[in-house]
Amino acid sequence: MKHRLRFGALVTSVAEARRAEELGYDLVAVSPDERDPWTLLSWIAGHTERVGLAVTGLDAADREPTVLGRAAASLDLLSGGRLSLALTGEHLGEVTDIVRGVLDADQAGPLRYPGEHHRVPKAQRGPLPAHRIPIWLTGTDPASLALAGRTADGWIADLEQVSADELVTAYKIIEAAASEADRDADEIRRILIVDPDRSAAELSALGADTFLFRAAVLPDLTAWETLRDSSGPSVFRPASVRSKRRDGIAYDELPASLAATAVEPGDLDYARVRSTYMRGGAPGLVLRPTTTAEVVEALAVARAHPELPFGLRSAGHGVSGRSTNDGGIVVSLAALNTIEILDEARRLIRVGPGARWMDVAHALRPYGWALSSGDYGGVGVGGLATAGGVGWLARKHGLTIDHLHAVEMVLADGSVVRASATENADLFWAVRGAGANFGAVTSFEFEAYEVGDVGFAQLVVAADDPADLLVTWGRAIEAAPRDLSGQLIMGPPRPGQPAYAQLMAVVDSDDPETIIEQVQPIAAIAPLYQQEVVLTPYAGVISNAADGGYHQGVGEPTSRSGLIEHLTPAFARAVVKLLASGAVHWFQIRTVGGAVADVPADETAYAHRSANFSVIVMGSSKQRVDAAWAGLAEHFDGLYLSFETDQSPERVADAFPPATLARLRELKLRYDPDNLFRDNFNIKAAAR
Amino acid sequence: MTDYGQDLLFGTFITPTAQPVHQAVELAVVADRAGLDLATFQDHPYLPKFHDTWTLISYAAARTTRIRLSGNVLSLPLRQPAVLARSHASLDRLTGGRIELGLGAGAFWDGIEAMGARRLTPGQAVTALGEAIEIIRAVWSSEPGPVRVNGEFYQADGVKRGPAPAHDMSIWVGAYKPRMLRLIGRAADGVLPSLSYLEGGPADYAVINQHIDDSAVAAGREPARIRRMLNINGTFSGFGKSFLNGPAEQWAEDLAGVALEHGVSTFILASDDPAAIEEFAGDVAPAVRELVAAERAH
Ligand SMILES: Cc1cc2nc3c(=O)[nH]c(=O)nc-3n(C[C@H](O)[C@H](O)[C@H](O)COP(=O)(O)OP(=O)(O)OC[C@H]3O[C@@H](n4cnc5c(N)ncnc54)[C@H](O)[C@@H]3O)c2cc1C
Repeated sequence: MKHRLRFGALVTSVAEARRAEELGYDLVAVSPDERDPWTLLSWIAGHTERVGLAVTGLDAADREPTVLGRAAASLDLLSGGRLSLALTGEHLGEVTDIVRGVLDADQAGPLRYPGEHHRVPKAQRGPLPAHRIPIWLTGTDPASLALAGRTADGWIADLEQVSADELVTAYKIIEAAASEADRDADEIRRILIVDPDRSAAELSALGADTFLFRAAVLPDLTAWETLRDSSGPSVFRPASVRSKRRDGIAYDELPASLAATAVEPGDLDYARVRSTYMRGGAPGLVLRPTTTAEVVEALAVARAHPELPFGLRSAGHGVSGRSTNDGGIVVSLAALNTIEILDEARRLIRVGPGARWMDVAHALRPYGWALSSGDYGGVGVGGLATAGGVGWLARKHGLTIDHLHAVEMVLADGSVVRASATENADLFWAVRGAGANFGAVTSFEFEAYEVGDVGFAQLVVAADDPADLLVTWGRAIEAAPRDLSGQLIMGPPRPGQPAYAQLMAVVDSDDPETIIEQVQPIAAIAPLYQQEVVLTPYAGVISNAADGGYHQGVGEPTSRSGLIEHLTPAFARAVVKLLASGAVHWFQIRTVGGAVADVPADETAYAHRSANFSVIVMGSSKQRVDAAWAGLAEHFDGLYLSFETDQSPERVADAFPPATLARLRELKLRYDPDNLFRDNFNIKAAAR
Repeated sequence: MTDYGQDLLFGTFITPTAQPVHQAVELAVVADRAGLDLATFQDHPYLPKFHDTWTLISYAAARTTRIRLSGNVLSLPLRQPAVLARSHASLDRLTGGRIELGLGAGAFWDGIEAMGARRLTPGQAVTALGEAIEIIRAVWSSEPGPVRVNGEFYQADGVKRGPAPAHDMSIWVGAYKPRMLRLIGRAADGVLPSLSYLEGGPADYAVINQHIDDSAVAAGREPARIRRMLNINGTFSGFGKSFLNGPAEQWAEDLAGVALEHGVSTFILASDDPAAIEEFAGDVAPAVRELVAAERAH
């Protein structure tokens, strides 16, 4: 059998639906009575958690097909992917096409459907449902059966209305129509409404794969359970989905634990996982492990495909890290996103790599704690805490990795290890700055610190003399107390418009006077166009990413990074030239130094501790950006890998000074000699 | 001064955003717990960024226990009258009488047409809405025989009656213009405009009342039975600045003024901010009730 056998129950109330859910039924279906069945089904959806949801036959004439498509997407989203849509009525071919067209949110352009009975001029598609909603059709006449064979995902019949013999004929007609339409008849589920007074043998003789029991009192499933357990796999991919598979991937050999959540190009969820925040991608397989044990299995899959690209992903904000690719494998750790308090007295927390920093900030806020990460709340723990973490409190509290106590990680050989100052200390050293080369970190233990409300200043100042502005801002920052960290953003000059710069600063103090006193010297460097200074919880500063949705990055970013100690006049002049070139659309300087520089250079793999500033540019043409950036190169001492898209050996050498790189290469040889982890500033293993 | 003496209701106007999936439901739960009377949702079926409003209402009804729910307002051109009647009555019975019917004649015709429905002129839309109300009431009624309404835009010939709602369900109509207001006076149970569309601010309500009252009287209906409602938006801030921009006490005075001056008895706050919803429920609503009761007692 191609499909896993399923058992459902016809229900008329929430009580019955809940009973079916308790008894382990796969789905409940409401059959139309005096009430509106869609309303009843939505109501039941709100009162159940797990069980599948269907109407035995929804009259297609009750709703505009486009609205029906939206309604189906909504109910599927709200219920967490539990809906099947069974339709009855006229012109079901057209209705099915339109509903599918609306649900196909990943398809470009609006839905235009010039049907004979239903015309859709140009409806917007979406929302994208939670899963591919199967459409079941009904009707026992030859035309209905043929339609089901051509287009349906399932066909539903009632054994009170067809005999077992008629059923055999009906299935034959469906199969013939399917093969005529070049479809695999196995793709069409056979749903049958029956009385539960039948033995397992009688049921299986009927040839259906989904049985909906009509019963005043629902039986438990023990009599049929063996039947279900011996049936097909729980995930079934029709030929249309399988046809989008990429070469060289052993799709059908995935362990069951991963198969349940894996996403391949034909799957509906592919739209949600293919791309990242910064890049468009088309991976051949995305694995979504939910436990450390599954991460081990997922890495084994990656290991078994050494010739394909392999990306590791946490929250998908990689700039340097290629956490998506074309035709390769991605292991997404998004599901490992728990945030736990381990020891309240010591402020120890444990965080999964898939958590986003704004979620971490919200979880810590009730305790009066924070952990400086970066400036954007959507960024993931996994990518940032394996590289550095230049955040809003960097000068006061250092890098994010400076507060890391231990990690659990899966190594290239599949072993699960803990690394800390006392266990696997070299690995712990390497993880803090070059983690992406050594394994998949499955949990991070940090020591958070107390942070009350902070001052957050957002200023816009005149930049008539941008070079002078940079130098004075740099001096003001270096002279500022460590409470203050910040950044400067400038754009290319725009003809006919006054030049300006955006200055931002966070002051780690909840005293308004201290905040004003510390922001004042920054605000005084040039005439102010705009200013806003607010007192806010740290979580308020970092809660700047949208909830919900998924990454829809396109193309390939170009970003360059350099670390610098002082913003000298010569550097500032070079920046003015770079901006004038028009090659970059984003120019930003972030503050490091302070507590970041307290940590000795050899203590972590992030070694460029003496820099006071981190400079970032982004542009669309790699060639032009590189050419403009070349003028700045002589002023830098190293780079922060998280903002650098060039992955050449020269850049790797810029990211890690010689002694650091030499040690990393030795460790790479020890921990990942076959170079499984290679998507982010890949370190060449030392020669054997 | 026009005060119809209607009991006061306070509600929320929640964006039915499809992302995050459960945001709108969670806000309805917040409003339910905070003690508001109504959770209402706009309906723009042509916009995929929103949930299907009726599905959302049915699901949110299951997740709340006390609050009443309605569309604000449902787009008639994309929803059939008999189905509206049946689905509202069904949910009303399931919830024990927590559902009201908020209906609009259709606003964004380009979007409506793009979805495959017909485009109507404003005048036609008023007629269509009148016919729809007739069908809806006929489906709900317990009169013998099937529904027979033979309208210009809607025909219901032999449609089965029932189910009847669990309570005397109101039909509230989003309206601004005279023809629609007169229809409300004749046939609906409430008028539901948005403050942001009233060019003259709350004072525009005087004209709205005039049209409704005249038409109600002409139809032999009691004007006071037609609920005057208002979608509002504003900002809670430290000190009073302008209408609905200030602390809760100022909001209360502003709203009590509108209630007593124009008889508006239902205030629906457009907000997706749980804190604002709670402040509206906890600080504003009781204060308005108190101010209005004190004035009415005079
Ligand atoms: C809008 C934006 C703002 C940013 N602001 C800052 C900032 O202020 N400060 C700062 O320091 N950085 C900042 N960054 C850079 C950011 O820290 C990195 O891009 C980081 O890698 C993103 O982490 P992620 O988990 O979201 O990314 P992903 O794309 O999921 O991962 C990126 C790379 O990290 C590695 N990786 C991910 N998870 C793991 C893991 N569990 N174990 C081992 N390696 C892993 C992989 O090599 C992967 O390719 C910013 C990025 C963006 C897009």
